[in-house]
Amino acid sequence: MSTLHVLSHSPFADSRLSSCLRVLGHEDAILLCGDAVYALTPATAARQTLDAKADSLQLFILDEDVKARNLTPPDWVRSVDYPGFVELSVQFDKVNTWL
Amino acid sequence: MKFAIALYSPAHAPSSRRALLFAQAVLAARHEIVRLFFYQDGVHSASANVVTAQDELDIPAQWRDFVNTHRLDGVVCIAAALRRGVLNEQEAERYSRPSANLSAPWDLSGLGQLHDAVQAADRLICFGGP
Repeated sequence: MSTLHVLSHSPFADSRLSSCLRVLGHEDAILLCGDAVYALTPATAARQTLDAKADSLQLFILDEDVKARNLTPPDWVRSVDYPGFVELSVQFDKVNTWL
Repeated sequence: MKFAIALYSPAHAPSSRRALLFAQAVLAARHEIVRLFFYQDGVHSASANVVTAQDELDIPAQWRDFVNTHRLDGVVCIAAALRRGVLNEQEAERYSRPSANLSAPWDLSGLGQLHDAVQAADRLICFGGP
């Protein structure tokens, strides 16, 4: 059973991202949207944690939220638009939003 | 594929716009939305009394148009709505309040409608927070 975890809170305000990474199953993926994309901010603990998992982590980002914050995602991260978000929610068995 | 979409955040939260764009993309991809369920602060998006500044996106109006255009089942949680002052004619009368601010296309109903939607849908997608 694969789950897409959707996060929208900034990783600098709470521990949702680290909790999510802790419970993430091997078939699961993360979609960062809204302020959660700040996890890609260079030279931060959040970015380093993600980069360290580049080989094993399926990480998606909502393109418009990354652009709105003028962030440059690393090559290993996949960028999606809204149709892509819908496609991901079909592809994964469940979508769990960290409200 | 059948989608149920639950919205927990008010119209001024970015996640509310995200939910709307997601819902539009769902229909554009020829999937079905079995029900939209507005819960917690999401009930504010169904209020007819929200006035949005002219240079801002009018999310409540866009939701209303979206639900009307596609004849969707838009359900607003009655318990969440009453405590936030979102009332239809019937509830305004029942509790002797001066006016109602919720009408078609929205329906006030219980949390059971969310449970029912989840049973009927292949996916439940929730939007809330920032």
